[in-house]
Amino acid sequence: MAFPPPSSDVLRGTLDLLVLKTLTLEPMHGWGISQRMQQMSRSVLDVHQGSLYPALQRLEQKELVEAEWRTTDNNRRARYYRLTAKGRRALGEETQSWRRYVAAVEDILAAT
Amino acid sequence: MLKALRLRLRALFDRSGTERDLDDELRFHIEQEAARHARAGLPAEEALRRARIAFGSMESAREAHRDQRGSRGVEDVLADVRYAARALWRDRALAVAGIVTLALGIGATTAVFSAVDAVMLRELPFREPSRLVQIWVENPDRGWHKNVVAPANYLDWRDRAGAFEGVAAYTDYQATVTLLGRDEPTLLTAAYTTGNFLGVLGVRPQQGRGFEPGDEWDNGQRPVIISDRVWRTHFGADPGVVGQSMSLGGSRPWQIVGVMPAGFSLPSPGTDVWMPMLWRPDQREAVSFRRAHWLRVVARMQPGVTPTQANASLQTVVRQLQAEYPATNTRMGAGITPLHEWIIGDTRMPLLVLLSAAGLLLLIACANVGSLLLVHALGRSRDVSLRFALGATRGRVARQAVTESLVLSGLGGIAGLAIGWAGAKALMAMQPAGMLPITEIAVDVRVFLFALALTTLSGLAFGMAPAVMATRQSPANALNSASRTVTSRPIRRWGRWLVMGEVALAVTLTIGAGLLLRSFERLSRQPAGFDPEGVLTASLSIPGTRYATPASVKDFYQQLVERAGALPGVELAAAVRALPVTEPSWSSSFAVRGRPPMEQAADVLHREVLGPYFQVMRVPLVAGRTFAASDRDGAAQVVVINDAMARQYFPGEDPIGQQITYDRVPDSTSVWRTVIGVVGSERQGGLAMPARPEIFAHFFQDETSRMHLVMRAESRTDPAALAQPVRRLVRDLDSLLALNSLRPMTEVHAHATSRERFTSVLVLVFAITGVLLALVGVFGVLAQLVQARWREMGIRLALGAQPSDVRGLIAGHGARLLIPGIAAGVLVALATTRVLGSLLYEIRPTDWATYVIVALLVALTGMFAAWLPAWRAGRANPVSTLRAD
Repeated sequence: MAFPPPSSDVLRGTLDLLVLKTLTLEPMHGWGISQRMQQMSRSVLDVHQGSLYPALQRLEQKELVEAEWRTTDNNRRARYYRLTAKGRRALGEETQSWRRYVAAVEDILAAT
Repeated sequence: MLKALRLRLRALFDRSGTERDLDDELRFHIEQEAARHARAGLPAEEALRRARIAFGSMESAREAHRDQRGSRGVEDVLADVRYAARALWRDRALAVAGIVTLALGIGATTAVFSAVDAVMLRELPFREPSRLVQIWVENPDRGWHKNVVAPANYLDWRDRAGAFEGVAAYTDYQATVTLLGRDEPTLLTAAYTTGNFLGVLGVRPQQGRGFEPGDEWDNGQRPVIISDRVWRTHFGADPGVVGQSMSLGGSRPWQIVGVMPAGFSLPSPGTDVWMPMLWRPDQREAVSFRRAHWLRVVARMQPGVTPTQANASLQTVVRQLQAEYPATNTRMGAGITPLHEWIIGDTRMPLLVLLSAAGLLLLIACANVGSLLLVHALGRSRDVSLRFALGATRGRVARQAVTESLVLSGLGGIAGLAIGWAGAKALMAMQPAGMLPITEIAVDVRVFLFALALTTLSGLAFGMAPAVMATRQSPANALNSASRTVTSRPIRRWGRWLVMGEVALAVTLTIGAGLLLRSFERLSRQPAGFDPEGVLTASLSIPGTRYATPASVKDFYQQLVERAGALPGVELAAAVRALPVTEPSWSSSFAVRGRPPMEQAADVLHREVLGPYFQVMRVPLVAGRTFAASDRDGAAQVVVINDAMARQYFPGEDPIGQQITYDRVPDSTSVWRTVIGVVGSERQGGLAMPARPEIFAHFFQDETSRMHLVMRAESRTDPAALAQPVRRLVRDLDSLLALNSLRPMTEVHAHATSRERFTSVLVLVFAITGVLLALVGVFGVLAQLVQARWREMGIRLALGAQPSDVRGLIAGHGARLLIPGIAAGVLVALATTRVLGSLLYEIRPTDWATYVIVALLVALTGMFAAWLPAWRAGRANPVSTLRAD
């Protein structure tokens, strides 16, 4: 039996949050972000590019990240994303609300 | 925020730049992934392959990215519009037919609706117009209804009826004055009013104050109000015109006290000057003041008073007057009509008929565009199926179809608006003089919105249908070319219904047009009692101030008629008080000597003639003689009567030698006149009304200042060529006189039926357009049928069918469209043409000849439209058709 997929808003919101978190350390390009997320999640989360690049686009439109073309260490042109001040604020708020959300879900799951 | 907007705008306008960035970024991703695999020890090629597999489709990544860009909606719409434009361009002939169809339907409706809006829907330009009513008199004895009012009765209503805040009077007959001292002497159309006229209407002049209440009495002042047109053409729009004096041909100058705003059109759009009645106080008690009826009366009801209450208040006064003045008022009733209804008057029915005709044409146009788009959609059904197969959603395909029809109706709407605008102007310019009681038709915002709503709605109506049909197809079915004709059967059935409906509407419209046309034809063939060919007419009016004595008036016209008769090219010249088939002149009751007074007062018309009038107009002499040179003033009073009067009042006896008087109850002061002749009857008040009993008197025994000159040209002279010599003649006689409306009598005669011609010709134009559209529909459906069954035709021919069999097959399909369509149209016409009843003259709404002729015409032209595709089907080449797929 198939479960209906969770509302795409929740998924999107989660991915956005993770991307923002990943970018707190340093500006990164798309591939780097996907590698970092896989590492940090101990390979549990494998973010497919099909969701990643639209998410980056979305964040750029919301002015939570900025993008620019830079040269990588081994001299390749790549598009680097960096957190904006607005993005940093959004990360704080989103993290709070995510934790509340997880706690609430956890409470319900624990109660049953 | 701004940045986000910039990104979206960039996405929209710098598409290639945005796409290139995206490709670079995605390629970088794949290379990094490949590099990772390579580091793990895979050969370079295998590394790249794995990276690509992991990445998935480049195109779907791009697609996901584009969705996120947020310009998707706009891009899609633009793409839809572009695609629609391309699709329509591929199907140019059909698109042009659709746009032309829509433009005609929308244009006709817009033009006619503009006129209806201006005449019927817009409020009158007066203060609180719903409180304004027209008051009229009726008298069953004299056959009067909604008749003009005698001044004394008007004054009593004004003073006694409490339900009215104000009651004003004005004249609406064609009175003229001559403007002198500015360029050429010019005839102006004048209306006489009471002092409270503008106050009751609640209109202020654009300049000056207008009249004061009480100005209707002659108090030595000569105030005059001029129209905006006179102010502009004769006073150069001088801002200081109020207070200036102008000469109107009398001995005393008139003071300009106001300029009316442009567009003020009471009593008529052509009124040039408004002048006070200038009654003398001693007239008030004279019996003629209550006997002669010549005023129109407009009243403003008190606030909160309903027309019913106002009428009750009026009836009280009417009954008082009946008791107080038995000699004149015994049978004199009165009634009220809301002013707006009064002004619309006879224009209402023709306009409604035109509006219905335009509405029918619009329906035909919508059905036609619907069937054209169906044909278009059928031609593209494989294309649509392909799009389904490639993953397009139903909504997306439906949206595409709707966009296509919206683009079409948008273009048609723009063209329709242009046609509507030009049509409204043309309607105003071509209308018979004075038919529409307004000065201009503007295509205003309301009309524009009306047209826009029509375009959009019709676009959706005919766009939705093909769209829904298109989505109903299953891709597999449609792609399988062998089953093409099977899957499209419901669409084709819908298309046949559309075309049948179209044919039915076109038949209904054409039957209506046919009835109006036959009615017009009967009317204009109606014997008018005279021969208008070769006669030139001119109207003139000499000012009573310079021609103060009867002798001077007689002398002037005597000279005019004599010298006009002597002009080269003129066979005979005469003068008459009023031309036939225009407006009848005055009327009265009468009595015959030796008979008791008639129980019911008769109402006979009167005209005065000078010179050989009956010969000029070729009115036959039935009995006795016409006037002779000896019938002058001083001689015995004689009259000629028409045979309508002889038949009605002297049946079975010889009227010659009888004596009559114009008093209903003769007394010792009555003037007795002897009947000397009987002439044929001319129709006096238009062609639709039969000739009324009429008495002709010799001008010398009953002179009047306003006459019409009539001249019969010699047989080889064009009457219009006499215009210049006549103008010169009048100038020689009196350089201060203006000659008005020089018109051939044929034109006067044609003008009598101009409304009927205007309405019927316009409806006919709509009907012809409607039939042409329906034929395009028939042709379209059959041509599509032939195309869809091209293979079948080829196979039939290959198997030995004769081309004539194949042609018959298609023609049979045509007949199956036409026959039910025509039958339905005839039934609808039978049920609906009754509304034309009051516009039809001597023809019944169920006139079978019209029905048969229209049905045959539509059937014949329809079969012609069907013959073209049938002929093509018969030429299907078995070999090439089988090879086609």
